[in-house]
Amino acid sequence: MYRYDEFDAQIVRDRVNQFRGQVERRLAGELLEDEFKPLRLQNGVYLQLHAYMLRVAIPYGQLNPRQLRQLARIARDYDKGYGHWTTRQNIQFNWVALKDIPDVLDLLADVEMHAIQTSGNCIRNTTTDHFAGAAADEVMDPRPWCEIIRQWSTFHPEFAFLPRKFKIAVTAAGHDRAAIRVHDIGLHMRERGGQVGFEVHVGGGQGRTPHIAAKVADFVPEGELLDYLEAIMRVYNRFGRRDNKYKARIKILVSETGEEAFRDLVEAEFEAQREAEKIALPQAEIERIHAYFAPPELAGKPATSAAFERAKAADPGFALWADANLHPHKQAGYASVTVSHKPVGGIAGDATDRQMMVVAHLAEAYGHEDIRVSHAQNLILPHVALDDMYEVYRELDAAGLATANESLISDMIVCPGLDYCNLANARSIPVGQAIAREFASLEDQADIGQLHINISGCINACGHHHVGHIGILGVDRKGEEFYQITFGGRADEKASIGQIAGPGLRAEDVPPALKRVVERYRALRTEKAERFIDVVERLGTEPFKEALYAAD
Amino acid sequence: MTSVRPKLKPDTPKTITAWDTATGRVVYMTADHGWTSDPAKLGVFTGEAGEDALEKAAAQEGIVTDPYFMEVSEDGAIAGRETLRETIRAVGPTTHPEFARAETS
Ligand code: HEM
Ligand code: SF4
Repeated sequence: MYRYDEFDAQIVRDRVNQFRGQVERRLAGELLEDEFKPLRLQNGVYLQLHAYMLRVAIPYGQLNPRQLRQLARIARDYDKGYGHWTTRQNIQFNWVALKDIPDVLDLLADVEMHAIQTSGNCIRNTTTDHFAGAAADEVMDPRPWCEIIRQWSTFHPEFAFLPRKFKIAVTAAGHDRAAIRVHDIGLHMRERGGQVGFEVHVGGGQGRTPHIAAKVADFVPEGELLDYLEAIMRVYNRFGRRDNKYKARIKILVSETGEEAFRDLVEAEFEAQREAEKIALPQAEIERIHAYFAPPELAGKPATSAAFERAKAADPGFALWADANLHPHKQAGYASVTVSHKPVGGIAGDATDRQMMVVAHLAEAYGHEDIRVSHAQNLILPHVALDDMYEVYRELDAAGLATANESLISDMIVCPGLDYCNLANARSIPVGQAIAREFASLEDQADIGQLHINISGCINACGHHHVGHIGILGVDRKGEEFYQITFGGRADEKASIGQIAGPGLRAEDVPPALKRVVERYRALRTEKAERFIDVVERLGTEPFKEALYAAD
Repeated sequence: MTSVRPKLKPDTPKTITAWDTATGRVVYMTADHGWTSDPAKLGVFTGEAGEDALEKAAAQEGIVTDPYFMEVSEDGAIAGRETLRETIRAVGPTTHPEFARAETS
């Protein structure tokens, strides 16, 4: 992974010291909240229902064991013993006192981490495929490009005060696991005649006006990528609306301008760049960054492992887990492990300090010191030998981290909702817990197959409800929580926005209603391999709407 | 600065709630314009006295952040449209009963 050089380290440390001074002045009453708020937001500090919340950047979701241990220490010493993995591959701490935050930022700086640009109207953490560098189906490793984008966008003076926040995602696999079409910019890496380039999608987003991104370029060669991104950012900075917060995202600019006209604006801006201002990234620099992401040295192994097969035969729990939570690795004899943070009835994405320590240890002992945060709020150990898998499983299981449910119905994305969030209309977590309990049997979940339920506690859509196969949106009706259900959303290469089924349901009616929907799906599928979303594609959402409201 | 929440009529009983600036802990104004983290000790205000209390709160920027009117009953229980939100603020996340406010430090 990328390592800070002395300049990176100094900048991050200086920033902590600067924020320490700002906090001191705030506590002394010299800075008013109005003045302090933009400063704290630039350092990832929000004020939530119960406390301050600190959002820590995890560039493209990658951590090493030392960093994960430090996050555990922060959870233990400055929070209430847990943190929360977010859909943007970051971590949030929910209970940190403002007076302690400078100390926490110092601890983060000790392990090359920070909270800069995790909030505010700037370019946020660039996200990617959580199996990057390991997945059998990727054309190449997207992380070096995420790092290049990170270096370009961090502290970029021109893009520090955009009309609104800005999110970039990159994928390099055929199957898009990074939801690039619902990002402000989505980059799909391609190879063409030996050359690497990017298919560029712009103007996707969720929130109150969800949009699927428009494709603005088929192939931008790698050396030109940053200049092309600058052209997009300049068009946005110039024409994006600043008069209305709800119309300020680039998705609105793209849809109001029209795809064609927007593309012309970007092309014109790109053409207008003077030679002297072009970044035109030199090949040597591209290679220098790539060197940080050299694949781990994995010992050659046969494709099958006798130890692995024996353990599967002997332990049905392991067999179930191995079927659900392992992803094919590009190297024979290895797999990528999804460390489920969705125990049935637990809280999606919460990790205790102890659990973080366990994963850090496993990454060291068996995982080539590599850990990822997935946008589905799980952790990943990308490179584990099949030979070691049973040992890894047993340690995860002992820590409550081995629920066999990757991409199954209880592997929900759930935002913090009204239990934490100052903007929420309704609770999300308890609804997710109730649904997981309704479908508690993991064998049954395996039979249902892939089904993404995503839950948000308000229209900001942090829980990705628009792109859940089943989406759930909490709304407030005169002080009462109701839940609006959508069907048919998806975040992959066939991205689409879910359709609202009808009137909202009460919390207690959601699990049985979804049970009926799932039973209807089982009755309609032609074979087990036909997923819920495939049936929606084939038959539309009508049958499911009907099942949803079919209570006697 | 004061937080924007649903408007309350002048004669609706209310208190002032905010966040302790140093810790982020939820606090309520007491009848004598001090601060408490115990909702049982909050002061109930109406009319002019309410406006006056909010003004006093807003002037204490170093100590508290984003004060606003919270609806209560005449005897000081959380009430009105935002009862659920304010109960969660007072007690802690419904999903973590072990973090109930009493042990927040
Ligand atoms: C609890 C504090 C949080 C606050 C105050 C907050 C605030 C917001 C707001 C205001 C938006 C709408 C932005 C817009 O439409 O312009 C938004 C969107 C979003 N947030 Fe959050 N959020 C919070 C937590 C989270 C968490 C925990 C996650 C991940 C689980 C997350 C991920 C996202 C994502 C992915 C979007 C929608 C994608 C998009 O920007 O189009 N946020 N958030
Ligand atoms: S979707 Fe709404 S309730 Fe959920 S975290 Fe985002 S802003 Fe809060």
